[in-house]
Amino acid sequence: MNPDIKEIYKIKTTDKETLLKWYQLLRLGRSLDDRAPNYLKQAIGWSYHAPAAGHDAIQLAIGQVFDRNKDHLFPYYRDLQTSVSAGLTAEEIIYNGISKDTDVAGGGRHMSNHFAKPEWNIHNVSSCTGNHTLHAVGIARAIKYYKSKGVAISSQGESSVSEGYVYEAINGASKEMLPVVFVFQDNGYGISVPKKDQQANRKVAKNFEGLKNIRILYCNGKDVFDSMNAMTEAVKWAEENQKPVIVHANCVRIHSHSNSDRHELYRDKAELNYVREYDPIAKFRRLLIRYNRATEDELNQIDEHVKEVVKKAHKAGMAAPDPSPDSVHDFVYAPAYQPQKFPDGTHNETSEPKKIIEALNSTLKAEFRRNPDTFIYGQDMANKDKGGIFNVSKGMQQEFGHQRVFNAPIAEDFIMGTANGMSRFNKNIRVVVEGAEFADYFWPAMEQFVETTHEYWRTKGQYSPNVTVRLASGGYIGGGLYHSQTIEGALTTFPGVRVVYPSYADDAAGLLRTSMRSQGMTLFLEPKALYNSPKAATPIPEDFEVPFGKARIRRNGSDLTMITYGNTTHMCMDVAEKLSKEGIAECEVVDLRSLVPLDKETILESVKKTSRVLVVHEDKVFGGFGGEVSAYISEHAFKFLDAPVMRVGAEFTPVGFNRILEAAILPNTEKIENAAREILTF
Amino acid sequence: MKNIGLFYSFNSIKTKQQAQKIIKGLGNGNIEEVNVEDIGNEEFMKFTNYILAVPTWFDGELPNYWDEFLPSIEEESLKGKTFALYGGGDQKGYPENFVDGIGIMADFIEKRGGKVVGFTSIEGYEFESSKALRGNQFVGLALDIENQAALTDERILNWTKMIAKEFN
Repeated sequence: MNPDIKEIYKIKTTDKETLLKWYQLLRLGRSLDDRAPNYLKQAIGWSYHAPAAGHDAIQLAIGQVFDRNKDHLFPYYRDLQTSVSAGLTAEEIIYNGISKDTDVAGGGRHMSNHFAKPEWNIHNVSSCTGNHTLHAVGIARAIKYYKSKGVAISSQGESSVSEGYVYEAINGASKEMLPVVFVFQDNGYGISVPKKDQQANRKVAKNFEGLKNIRILYCNGKDVFDSMNAMTEAVKWAEENQKPVIVHANCVRIHSHSNSDRHELYRDKAELNYVREYDPIAKFRRLLIRYNRATEDELNQIDEHVKEVVKKAHKAGMAAPDPSPDSVHDFVYAPAYQPQKFPDGTHNETSEPKKIIEALNSTLKAEFRRNPDTFIYGQDMANKDKGGIFNVSKGMQQEFGHQRVFNAPIAEDFIMGTANGMSRFNKNIRVVVEGAEFADYFWPAMEQFVETTHEYWRTKGQYSPNVTVRLASGGYIGGGLYHSQTIEGALTTFPGVRVVYPSYADDAAGLLRTSMRSQGMTLFLEPKALYNSPKAATPIPEDFEVPFGKARIRRNGSDLTMITYGNTTHMCMDVAEKLSKEGIAECEVVDLRSLVPLDKETILESVKKTSRVLVVHEDKVFGGFGGEVSAYISEHAFKFLDAPVMRVGAEFTPVGFNRILEAAILPNTEKIENAAREILTF
Repeated sequence: MKNIGLFYSFNSIKTKQQAQKIIKGLGNGNIEEVNVEDIGNEEFMKFTNYILAVPTWFDGELPNYWDEFLPSIEEESLKGKTFALYGGGDQKGYPENFVDGIGIMADFIEKRGGKVVGFTSIEGYEFESSKALRGNQFVGLALDIENQAALTDERILNWTKMIAKEFN
């Protein structure tokens, strides 16, 4: 009875076969939902369960309108009924619930009640509620770019709309005019928090009524017909108009938020009674009987059939294999590109040296010419003759067009999250993002960054986000607290992302090429102080490649190993030259190039040779990546050491803006030389 | 047969109390009370004049008993019939959907050829939006016992005087 929505489905006219199919799906979903807590009570599993009861109608509708041959569905953790309606079997629901190896979402790696089937475009989403809205927007961008049929459907609770990234997602879908259907399942609560504590509007979709290019539909998520009609209209309109739709569905939450919540502590008896009275399945059954669309006997037979289906699925679930503990290291990293022409990432090129900025620009262009499914975007990326704040992307928009090279809103999480989403469309796609104009501003993207590191492992290798995240990093430019940060100390702690940090132009080119040809995510940190530095300029062979996890010995030596990367590689080289000239020591300078994976072999070989190690990096010593290198050496090469492993890096302070403060805080040749001399005294 | 059918949920205490006041206000014995939770189409269609109690549930929905009954009403089948609507709402708790139920019902009736009477002024209410609005009037009688209980009797009395003139 919504005047904005065409009434296609009605109790009196929808064909009986469809009505009974819906009833069976609803009963199956509810039976599984009701049964889930028993597994926890018996200590079998399903320790996280967010009941779908009360959301049944809208969830049925989401699953029914989803066409796995063209659409992409992003269900949230309460979407059991959605998943059943979309085609997951009772066995598949139980495998996920009790975390079996046969779980099609990812073999029991993700939390229970996170249903997915990537093979069918039912995506495996994070527990960070609502964060998949950005993935839906990203894949919708690809749907539109490739002129494909279908839409992205993102489902979430109304409270998760409070998340900033949801606003970023909907703003982006509105700006880019993308075929996404955002479904808000409104049950009135975020766990125990009533929605009046979440937003001023009782219907949160109203918050978006000022956005352009977006249609908002309100429906009764407890009513099968209203929900079916709203979702049908939403998907049709989004696909035909290539614009986003929000469907706001009013639901009730019949049970607690999850098994760790006790709703009787904050809901009175009257409320608990009336939400039960408004059970969508009971209403649907009453309608079927009232309008003579089914008999009691027919419905009872379906109920009995569902019981048998669930019983059989339970047996299958109990017999299914658990994941093997030996498999934990499988699918941490998606396959890397293996360099063909330069397998160890070295060369003998003697051509005119190029600066890092030229290396990056020419490599990006070369890879864009090679792979037409390559995209780059970020903040301040391209506008006429300007190609980013540092000109890394200069000329790219002119050559490759606005659809492959484009500006993003000032919303780092949006940039990162939509890259993850866009990459899902097909395996050829490679997305390069400037995650932020400066690494310092990447922190708002951390939630999506962490999420993206999980994807390959969490899906048991079913999805790898093929994304290169470029960040202009580090100090020495008088940039102060927010133009000097180098953030690898934090970002190398996440399994699932490769982290590279070149010091020279040739390695910058080679590592970027390898990143863009690899599967999985690579964090590409660029020492911006060296972009135009003649010191970092090198000859670069055509199509130069550098493998991940392969350090480069930039200077041979026998007395002391300096392990370094980025800006400080050049300082180490200077100190090594000085100590050599003074006849004090011959230092070996190991330029790590890759931090993750780390070239432990080259490190150990060098330590065996010199017996003394100085780890140098620009980041803070305390908590910096050097601590990991140092610990590794202490653990695995202690017997070769003649001196303690020492570290030089930044002070444990922010980087001050005044040049005097910056110099006092960041490492320099003097500090490195002093440390080297101290080690050599042992 | 009695001329006016007064349809409401007999299980709803507040609506029932309001129904009794309406009967008293109309001051005649020509009203048949019908429990909307038990009706069939035939029983509904036998009247010419109707008073329907339509409270608003949740964020602007009809109660299930109406929602489940309405599909039985055929297109154009309400031609020649006159409806007066009343219902409770909470203008402070639900200011965005105040007495939406009345508006939803009025739309439904009008779409099927029925005539809706008994519009009332919005003066004296404070709310943000309502599907029951027709210009500066509600398409029926809006009652708010949560916030304006003291005004209920007077509002019912005035409304019954108005609708008494409208019914044949």
